[in-house]
Parts: sequence; C-alpha cells; structure tokens
Amino acid sequence: MDYSVISERISLKVSAKGHQADRTKIEGKLRRLIEEFGVPPQEAERTVLNELARDLSIPDLVPGTGAAAGEERQLRQLSSGDWATIEAKVVSLSSSPSAAISQTGILADPTGAMRFVVWAKANAPRLSVGSWYRFESVVVDEYRGSPNLKIHSGTTIKEISRETPLIPEILAIGDLTPGIGSVKGKFIQEWDVSHDRMLQAGLLGDESGTVKFVIWKEEGKERLNPGTVYSVYYALVDEYQGRMSLNLTTATVVPEEGDIPVSGGERVFTGALVHIAPGSGLIKRCPVEGCNRVLSRQNYCPVHEIQPGFLYDLRIKGWLDNGEETREILVQREVTEKLTGISIQEAKDLAENNPLGMDEVFLRMRERILGRFFTCRGREIDQRILVSECGFHHFDPGEIPALLNRAGGAP
Amino acid sequence: MVTPERPSFTRREATFEREPARRVFAAELRETRIHFREGDDEKSPTYVLLPTGERCNRVFLVGTLTEKKKQGEQNMFYRARVVDPTGTFFIMAGSYQPEAMQQMARIEAPAFVAVAGKPNVYETPDGATLISVRCESVTPVEKETRDRWVLDCARSTLDRIDKMGTTKYGERAQKEYHTDPAVFRKMVFEALTQLSM
Repeated sequence: MDYSVISERISLKVSAKGHQADRTKIEGKLRRLIEEFGVPPQEAERTVLNELARDLSIPDLVPGTGAAAGEERQLRQLSSGDWATIEAKVVSLSSSPSAAISQTGILADPTGAMRFVVWAKANAPRLSVGSWYRFESVVVDEYRGSPNLKIHSGTTIKEISRETPLIPEILAIGDLTPGIGSVKGKFIQEWDVSHDRMLQAGLLGDESGTVKFVIWKEEGKERLNPGTVYSVYYALVDEYQGRMSLNLTTATVVPEEGDIPVSGGERVFTGALVHIAPGSGLIKRCPVEGCNRVLSRQNYCPVHEIQPGFLYDLRIKGWLDNGEETREILVQREVTEKLTGISIQEAKDLAENNPLGMDEVFLRMRERILGRFFTCRGREIDQRILVSECGFHHFDPGEIPALLNRAGGAP
Repeated sequence: MVTPERPSFTRREATFEREPARRVFAAELRETRIHFREGDDEKSPTYVLLPTGERCNRVFLVGTLTEKKKQGEQNMFYRARVVDPTGTFFIMAGSYQPEAMQQMARIEAPAFVAVAGKPNVYETPDGATLISVRCESVTPVEKETRDRWVLDCARSTLDRIDKMGTTKYGERAQKEYHTDPAVFRKMVFEALTQLSM
C-alpha cells in the first residue's frame, strides 16, 4: 500500500499550522498501524494526526478520507453478484451434469476454494486439473446456498505458471459451512446406500463433531474403509435443514496412519474466554485420602483444618462466552498445562522463586489465555463444563466468503 | 440436583445466569442510545438496546488500542480508544475495576486488546449521547485473535439482523431506532473486506 498520499495530507496540515513534520516518520507510523495492527487507513490517519497535534501542541487537526480498492480479487473476497479477475488452480473436475455445462469442478487459491462451472456456450479452452489459470471477468452467484463461479463467453482465460503449492486449511467438522471444506476425520459408521448411483454413505467424526458423507458412483472412485482416519481435501459441503453433509465424489481423500479422538456426544462449546476466576492457576489441595479440597492461602482445609503437607495442582475456572450464551468452564491440570504452556513443575518454581508467589502463575496464565477464543469439550452439568479437551479456536479466512454472502444478500 | 435442607438457596443458584458478552461493531455501538432496567429491584441488571435488536448488558470486543489517557487525581482512571474495522470504541477503567486498571497501566499503544466490559450511555448537557465501555478486563492479544473476533462479531451481527422482525428486542429496536438493516449489513460487509487486505 502507498502511504505517500496520506502522509502528504498530514504534513500539509501540520505545515499549514507553521510546524515541520518528518514524512518518513509519518509513513512509518502509518505503515505500522495499518499493516501490523489492521487499523483502517482513515483511523490511522486520525491517530497519527492526533499524536502530532499532541507532540507539537497544535489543537484541531481534523482527519480527511481514505482511498478506493482494486479489482483483482482473491477467492475468499468474492461474494454473490461480484464480477472479478482471479488467478486460481483447478483442484478438481467432476462429470458435467448437463449438456449446457462443458466443465464443472473446484478452483482454489491460497485464500480459499470455490465451485465453478464453464458454460458450453462460453467456448472456453478445456481446463485441466492441477493447472493455474488467470480468469478475467468471471461472475459469482449462489448455487444451493454456497458461492459459485461462472465462466461465460465474456471470460478471458490464460494458463499461467505458478509453483506455489496450495495447502488447504483443515477445518474442525463442527465448524464446516456450506461451500468447499477440508477436514481430517475418522470413518466411524457405514450406512446403507439409499440410491443406485450412490457408492457409499456414512459418518465421519473428529473431536468437534460428526458429519454425514456420500460418494457417488463415478469411474475410478473407491470405497473407504470403516475405522480408518482420512484427510479430505476440497469436499463439497452442503447444508440441509441446518445440518452439513460432505460430498466426497470430487474430493481428494487420503488415508492417514493412526487414530484420532472422536466426539462421544459430549458437549462442545466454542466462545471467548471473557473471565478467569480467582482460584485459577496454581492451587493447593488437601492431602487427606479422598478429600482433595482446595486449601486457602494459609493451607486451611474447611474439613481437615491446617494441612502443611498440601499437594500442588493446576486448574482454570472461567467463563466461556459465545455472545448468546455463557458456560462456566473447569479445566483440569493436564489441559491447563497444554493451553497455557506452563507445566506444574514450572508453576511451582515460579511460585517459589517470585515475590508475587502463586499470583505470578495466575498472571502469566491470564496473559496467555484471557480474551482468546476456545473450543472446549466435556461433560456439562448445570451450565458448567468439566473440560476434558480444549484448544484455541483459530481465525479461519475460509469463513469469510459465506459471511460476505450473508452480509451482501437481500435484506 | 436438589438439596432438601436448603431449597431456597438451590433455587436462587439455579436461576442465576451470567449475562452474555455481546459482539458489537463500533459503528453499531456508537448508534446506541436507549438504556433500561429489566425488573424492579435496584439490583436488577441494566441493559442498552442495540440497534440490530438485542438487549446488551455486557460486550466483548477486540481491536487496536490507539490512545490511552490517565485522568483524575484522587480517583485515578484510564480512558482509551479502541479501533475496530468500523470505528472507535471508548473504554474506561477506574478504581472500581482494579483488574482492568492494572492491566491498562501496562499497555503501550498501539496494541491489540481484548476487552470485556459493560456499556454505559451518557447524556451530555447539550443533549448528545455518548457510549463508553467500563472494562472488566483489558488483555493484550495477537492479531489472530482480532481477526477471529471480526468473524465472530460479523456472524453475531448478521444473526441479530436476520431475526430482527421476530424478536421482542428486534421489534423494539425497529420502533426506537428505525433501524435500516441494509446499513448494518453494509457495515458488516465492509468490516469483512478489510480482513482480506
């Protein structure tokens, strides 16, 4: 991005007030705010102006307006109704369902993937799997609730050479949204096929949940083996009555070694950790057989009184919040160690060698996990989840297209 | 699970529900003016009415803290600006929020922060309304968490817009604010496009 326009505007404003401003410094500050911290250009301009105003004691420096966007787009930026130019790789082709369609399949770029169709009337060159192309003037519409690229007679297609390998992002099964998705799941249940053309149907599961899948009969398609873990790349994700299903016919399916844990019907809750309660971090427990109660700072057990021979333990008590509902989470030692990166031994050393003692452990854990997003799984009793597994819920750019579609759709 | 010895205590415990922290973009919170109390008790929770139609007692937001100011002598408190892709939140932390105040003391702007807190509407003598968030916590976080929040907030906002005609607070918001859903869809759309930058 070019910052000279904004910095010019700022320095003009400053010099109009009879002061000198260093343009390189201004540009550096703008770059830092915009690129590193994702501040919108307008707000960055305001922030830098304000800072200068303060430093130079000039009141009333008012910000102006920002700039416009380009037309070359990446897949995850596209939503229904857009016309765009894209560069993408054909990662899969499927048999054409109708004479009006010459080819259909999936395109991917580093930001995501999308279905496409080439109309027979488009007179387009044949696309081949594994090649990169530049598509000028494609149009995006919606097909069965997910975005779809249309290649029509006005589209210019050029094959381009690209060495960048594409690594599709693996999603948790519970996070799938309509469109294209890649997951790693275990084949946990095989179902009878409900149609002559269906090769296989069943359930795939991972830690976050389970999803129905189907494979349609097509040349070269093989059946999957129940009990095996598979990585599935670029599967079609459809939604039916609020439930997702995977169509693996055109996906790349790779069997994996080993086993993965699968959701056992326990509660899975995703949200932000908005509060960590006192009593989290390093705690002391009563050593009396079968008691295990948490001791006060003075090593006092409510039942067995003073217990100097206490046992150390780690835990987190806090509130996970998804904006509509909240759950109290209770995280035991092993998961606490994994989430915070602090082992019980390190926690003990910290507490014993630090002026703040056990508080230091609490503060360090807070620094690492408060305000972050997590997916927790465990038994739920009265709004409280006894967490057996928990992981960071990461940013996934693959969610953007569906949200853009919703935001840009009809009111 | 019922404890026969203390039934009233058990009942009170069971009915307690923590107020969820709503996900709201700055541009929506800025338009919020209506506030009310639910129930007659002086301890009943207070809410603001979001223009997209939800009552809101608590918010969770992630953005860039761009400015921080210390104010007051006896009762020292911090004011700060936190920026998201749609605008600016005004946040504060005083001695009634010691945890947030101590966290705020250590933050150097600019920094990504995650804020949990309570929104408050103020009326200035000249009739303008201001909304600021009294912090429960202000934690420095990574850019990844900010991006995650933008997705989360986009989804929540769209969910509220989609339900607006069918819920009590949605109808109330339409009456009080004459909310145009298209304006807020556009706000969400623009916030999301900034992520792809």
